[in-house]
Amino acid sequence: MIERHLSLPALRFGLRGGRFGLMMGVALLLGFVVLGLSPLFVDIAPPAQMDLLARLAGPSDTHPLGTDHLGRDVLSRLIHAVPVSLGAAFATMLAILAIALPWGVIAAVAGGRVDMVMMRLADIIMAFPTLVLALAIIGFMGASLQASIIGIAAAWWPSNARMVRALVLSASQRDFVRAAYLSGASRLRVIVRHILPQVLPPLAVIISLETASVLLALSALSFLGIGAQPPTPEWGAMLNQARPFFSQAPHMLLVPGLAVTAAVLALNLIGEGLRDLLDTREPYEW
Amino acid sequence: MLRFILIRLAVAVPTLLGMSVVAFAIVAIAPGDPVMMELRALGVVPKPEDIAALRAEYGLDQPFLLRYLDWLGRAVQLDLGTSIATGRSVVTEIAMRLPATLSLAVSALIGAVLVSVVFGVCALSRNRGVAACMRGLTILLVSIPSFWLALLFIYLFVLTIGWGRLVSDGTWSDLILPALTLGLGAGASLGRVVYERIRAELSEDHIRLAIAKGLAPRRILISHIAPRIVGPLATAWANTFGALLGGVVIVESIFGWPGLGQLILQAIAQRDFPVIQAYLVFMGLIFFTMSILADIVVFFTDPQLRRTLSDD
Repeated sequence: MIERHLSLPALRFGLRGGRFGLMMGVALLLGFVVLGLSPLFVDIAPPAQMDLLARLAGPSDTHPLGTDHLGRDVLSRLIHAVPVSLGAAFATMLAILAIALPWGVIAAVAGGRVDMVMMRLADIIMAFPTLVLALAIIGFMGASLQASIIGIAAAWWPSNARMVRALVLSASQRDFVRAAYLSGASRLRVIVRHILPQVLPPLAVIISLETASVLLALSALSFLGIGAQPPTPEWGAMLNQARPFFSQAPHMLLVPGLAVTAAVLALNLIGEGLRDLLDTREPYEW
Repeated sequence: MLRFILIRLAVAVPTLLGMSVVAFAIVAIAPGDPVMMELRALGVVPKPEDIAALRAEYGLDQPFLLRYLDWLGRAVQLDLGTSIATGRSVVTEIAMRLPATLSLAVSALIGAVLVSVVFGVCALSRNRGVAACMRGLTILLVSIPSFWLALLFIYLFVLTIGWGRLVSDGTWSDLILPALTLGLGAGASLGRVVYERIRAELSEDHIRLAIAKGLAPRRILISHIAPRIVGPLATAWANTFGALLGGVVIVESIFGWPGLGQLILQAIAQRDFPVIQAYLVFMGLIFFTMSILADIVVFFTDPQLRRTLSDD
């Protein structure tokens, strides 16, 4: 036992590593929030303002990140895309949770036949590859940002409902939950007061990691031209428009891709960091 | 063994039926009338009686359940209708491009499995610098969108160094870049699963015993940990394959790989419902088969599961 305590610095290092990542993720995300709010405080050219004489221009004093094929300022479009790209990802995640949370909780608490039927229904949706199902739904609704939000939410919720169910099931195994039932607390009270507080921390990890993958999927759809439609400033759509000018104006390609990567990275770092903080296991050292 | 497969297939039937309902209903409840769209595609200004006649011809005036059964009956015989855009049978259209998509998805999966094992094992390295670097690299690779990575690879390898080309005719050498693009990201996220699984095993007592016996880490990894994580990993591989089936659409269009990607993107743009529906059905079936295969691997590698099933 003593020796295991001696190896604790290793554990602390791991924690610190997780915290460092968490801090970086939060800082990155805050950076995006500041960037997204900056048009309110700083004077920035409107994202649709064209300067046809300066098309495909590289970085300069007037256009710090250059201009695109219509002479629009890339920095301005990048900033105005923050609420669109991140907002769409968070809206999608909210929609997913709105279905997955009640679905998973009800299935876990009700148990028996209700649980079986609900999970069977979720399994049917999960039997399709998620992105394929999202593509099909978008195909039937017609390409737009709303359609891709609905398509992704419809394809993504069952796996989340499954995770919520698993979390609630393991949370309701605890003795104090049984004690609450025995002392005559109603189901609703047990769920709200005793189960949800246990579920929330691991749920935060899932939400953060899932929002990252939703953001990736949404920007990919916009890149393919079936998500956000021009002239909406959106990172994936900006990359799509940059494709024909690949070799002439590489700056158009670099910046929106970096923005998507940084935003997804921020969410992943937060998710992984939180997971490390919650992880109390101590693997044996070899 | 046979018993397990039979049980698994029997359980699969309701799910398959449910999938067919989803694939059918998604068209039935889609906004926009397919008849109107076909007429518009033909350039005809429809009269109300023409519409009614066409609706009757397609059986669209029948109740939902009858139409579903009729559709299912034809789908089982591989008749999923004709493409509105080309007028050809959608099954032929899809069968033509399916091999290219599957070969890309399979080679990306193989790449991803290799990458994931390297990443997962290195992330557990005793050298903390290496471990931290591998974990950082994993998170970074998971976060890079595949379409952007594809564009970066093209810029680097095709435009700058001059390897590879952008117009592809489906030969194996054209497969490398798209498979690498897809495999790196998928491999990194699989690597997280490998890392998590090994870490979970490392917290178990039998591993503690193996360490106490003085076994070398490699020996523990290969003969104590690997057999126990193959089953869960097979499930993760099947899921990754499902993600790759969707992911190929993104990458195919960038590298000009002649798979299903371009077909489906065109179908979405032209609202070619039969093609989209058939695409959903085929991809669903392929993914479903992979999941069953994964379950069989789980069965094979889990002695406890095998024993309970052969007992009763």
